Amino acid sequence: MPRGPHHRDAWVSPGSLGLGVWIITIVAAASTLLLALQPADRNPGLQMWTRARTHFNLYTPFTAEWNAHVPPTEHVTLHLLSDVALEQRMLAGFLTNTYTADLIELERRSVGRLFTGPADEIGFLDLTDRLHETGIFDRINQPSFSPWTSRGRIYGLPHDVHPVLLAYRADLVADAGINMNEIETWNDFERVLRPLIADLDGDGRPDRYLLNIWHTNMDMTECLILQAGGTFFDVQGRPTIATTINANVIARIVSWVCGPMRIAIDAPEFSAAGNQLRLEGAVIASLAPDWLCGVWKTDMPGLAGKVRLIPLPAWTPGGRRTSVWGGSMLGIARRSSDPEAAWRFAQQLYLDANLAEKLYREAGIITPATDLWNQPVYDEPDPYFGGQPVGRAYINAAPGVPLRTSSPYNMLAKARVQDAVYDLRSYAIAHDEFDPAVLAAEAQHLLEYAESAVQRQIQRNVFLREDAK
Amino acid sequence: MARLRLVITYVALAACSIIILIPFAYLVCASLKTSAAFFSSPFLPPGDGWFGIAWDQLTLSHFTRLHSELHFERQLLNSLFFSATLSVLATLACAMGGYALAKFHFRGRVTLTALVLGMLVVPGTLLLAPTYRLLYQLGLLDTYAGVLLPLAAPAFGVFLFRQAASSTIPDALLEAARLDGAGEIRTFFAIVVPLLRPMIGAFMLISFLSMWNNFIWPQVVLQSGAKYPLSVAIAQLKNVYSQDYGLLMAATLVSILPVLLLFLTLQRDFIAGLTSGAVKG
Amino acid sequence: MNAVPPRSRWAPYAFCAPFFAIFLLFGVYPIIQSAVLATQQTYGPKASRFVGLANFKDLLADPLFWRALWNTTVFAAGSIFIQLPCSLGLALLLNQPKLRGRAFFRLIFFAPSLVGLVFVAVIFSLIFEKRTGLLNVLLHGAFGCDPEFPWLESYVMPALIIAALWMYAGFNMVYFLAALQAVERDLVEAAVVDGANAWQRFVHVTLPAIRPVGAFVVLLSLVGSFQLFELPYLLLNATGGPDNQGLTLVMYLYQMGFETGDLGYASTIGWVIAVLLGTFAAVQWRLSRD
Repeated sequence: MPRGPHHRDAWVSPGSLGLGVWIITIVAAASTLLLALQPADRNPGLQMWTRARTHFNLYTPFTAEWNAHVPPTEHVTLHLLSDVALEQRMLAGFLTNTYTADLIELERRSVGRLFTGPADEIGFLDLTDRLHETGIFDRINQPSFSPWTSRGRIYGLPHDVHPVLLAYRADLVADAGINMNEIETWNDFERVLRPLIADLDGDGRPDRYLLNIWHTNMDMTECLILQAGGTFFDVQGRPTIATTINANVIARIVSWVCGPMRIAIDAPEFSAAGNQLRLEGAVIASLAPDWLCGVWKTDMPGLAGKVRLIPLPAWTPGGRRTSVWGGSMLGIARRSSDPEAAWRFAQQLYLDANLAEKLYREAGIITPATDLWNQPVYDEPDPYFGGQPVGRAYINAAPGVPLRTSSPYNMLAKARVQDAVYDLRSYAIAHDEFDPAVLAAEAQHLLEYAESAVQRQIQRNVFLREDAK
Repeated sequence: MARLRLVITYVALAACSIIILIPFAYLVCASLKTSAAFFSSPFLPPGDGWFGIAWDQLTLSHFTRLHSELHFERQLLNSLFFSATLSVLATLACAMGGYALAKFHFRGRVTLTALVLGMLVVPGTLLLAPTYRLLYQLGLLDTYAGVLLPLAAPAFGVFLFRQAASSTIPDALLEAARLDGAGEIRTFFAIVVPLLRPMIGAFMLISFLSMWNNFIWPQVVLQSGAKYPLSVAIAQLKNVYSQDYGLLMAATLVSILPVLLLFLTLQRDFIAGLTSGAVKG
Repeated sequence: MNAVPPRSRWAPYAFCAPFFAIFLLFGVYPIIQSAVLATQQTYGPKASRFVGLANFKDLLADPLFWRALWNTTVFAAGSIFIQLPCSLGLALLLNQPKLRGRAFFRLIFFAPSLVGLVFVAVIFSLIFEKRTGLLNVLLHGAFGCDPEFPWLESYVMPALIIAALWMYAGFNMVYFLAALQAVERDLVEAAVVDGANAWQRFVHVTLPAIRPVGAFVVLLSLVGSFQLFELPYLLLNATGGPDNQGLTLVMYLYQMGFETGDLGYASTIGWVIAVLLGTFAAVQWRLSRD
């Protein structure tokens, strides 16, 4: 194209305009045709959504076995979805009468939104009577029901207990000549391990720290608050956020993540970046629920033999040495085509002794069915953890797991508490004040603000008010 | 002096180009690295091979896994379908509507034009919640039509075509056609469409692009994974495959490549289309 | 206008029908519905209760709403005061006379705006990662900056503005470039004769000439900024981010409407966005008329 010094680029060249029109029109026609030719994608039988890769891998052979023994209408097809997708699709499906799977395995954080509306809009089958009739209710560790209970009714079969222990790098600790038996409380933890903080790459900044926790991680905050005996809601569902216990815990967390006494590092689980840090030895200890053991074995084979577990350090001498983190349930959609078959499958899947064994072997998760706890598998030495009988360690912790709320506003409370942690850290840095005893006063103040925010949302909800009448 | 200025200009332009191209380069490199080599360097892993690169640590497996594990081609097909079909439907509806508003006298013309002008300032986000409820009432949630129909009649589209028709279609031509006995539909396709061709091309391209990149609407309307376009599918991959950076980046590359290629072939029309709103601004 | 009338008096209606059938159903009717919804509290599209003006009252007392409004405003300010000057700068560079390869550079600068926000967010979520992210790796390697610089933790808004800058600087440049190329060369040459230096020429000749396009681009940026959703939604994993630093108005609308199920509250937020954007458009129209 000729272009003189003053000639400007022509923005529109009419000749070529037809090309785009034709390309798009042909693509439209061709893609419509191709989609019309696609076979219907819904498999016959029952569909199940799960959110965890480990569960998916574990259930796949079990489902194949099940499918071999039942008529095709009861065949189960598994689908792995992300947390966000599962929650969004489940809620939209329930609220709009559109498609959902028949069986949905659901994480605790997603359950609250099911319970914010009127009780007759809860899309899951009320399992309360079935649980009592079959005797399953009495077989399962009682705290495991609490997150799935709304207005006195149980909507899911509990999958787990998820006690929390402390995983630590035994190799690094041994090299430093440290004895972990000296640790009983978080104070001991800080004092005994502090010499391990180190600058690994020689750039003048420490990059190895003692504990994987961060002021942006609300799961960890909740875990530690529950361990300390704190709560977000009382049994009537009223917020109990601004308590001294909670204030002390978040003040302590803030003192860990910043300031001269920092011991914390941010190494997110389930992320390549976090795993890289763990493999490099930048993390000494981690809060380790039972499910994390399975995840680590799959994602970080390089840590095999280098890690061990001890009970969580307590907040006070003699205090609780475990907590609880995460949890799933299996629910049956009310509009399922065959709820009875789904219920049969659900019982098999969650209460089968063989699968419970596999669940432990492959995912590290201990069953909530207390009558299965005496199985020998839980006493086997685990080479990944240097020969420790890991299952027994978690089962010993299981009865001490704290109770949890089923408030539909728990996620909101967690988020507002996390805002308080974040703001407290900013406050600490701005005032150059990192003593947890001093920070606790400001923490109390921030938690009161968080509590009022949660209270305001609860009071807005007309549906819960109606049901309470 | 002028020469020095030119040199400085080139240096500045080159620097800006490099900054802008870095994320693209990163994307390409990341989609080729094996998981083991991912953190060894920001771009390609260094080694003893040609150009100092460890070629043996590169792999195409992420791309093959897109097909074998995730059946990503279905999402690609969905995206092509949504974007191309919407582009054709919206262009047809807007061209006909805009032509009628510009070139006919009829009862209700003033009201309709006022409605269109009024809707120009309404942000799409206001319509999100009520349209969702409407689709529920119509039973169109989780359907292809539920995604396409609400987007098929954009006010700015009919506005652009009304402007284009009034300025480029002489009345005399229409009258001549009518005197010759041509039917209205024939007049439209034989006379009006060719004259509106620049606007048609530009509008089709921007409709295509905006649907391709649309996330919130298909995310709200669709539920079945088999109907997801790339934008929604990618967002969910990001959660499930948070450790599988290579796969995630390969999926992203596959998702943006078609529009980049379309843009390379039709660059001028694209820019004309995207800036067409500003001319009258 | 038409000396010869159309052959059928129904012709215009037939031409209008496809567009306006959809437009009235999916454009005008939802607007009326959104006014109705704003007076309701809902749990999904099925269950709803009339609450009058409670949604507006609650919204005004809702600190998260104010947080979202503030965040959105900061982002909009970043777009206008950081991104647009960059765009203008790029356009001025490309508008140099005797420049070769203009089309090539324009192509490169423009390319990021073709990439959808979702895809940009996925790419940048890796770039902004704390220790392994590209940005920190490069800054650490080149300038010895903190390799743990917490972009998506304490600097969420700057991170969003950087990502948007990468994406849209070249897009807005195209408008400025078109405007610059329309500036009368004679005018500039006359200014040269008058002895005006480069800066004076820019301020007194070029800037006034591109003002209308500038005003349009500002409006466009405002409209885009107030609808920001995908970028923070994906970069922050569907949350508002630490301390809600990345919570935008549309994100809050989405959370309330489609995660909590309260379409009424979502509509109320939608009305706030609509009123704000209407005001911006009115101001721009007023200014461009003078």
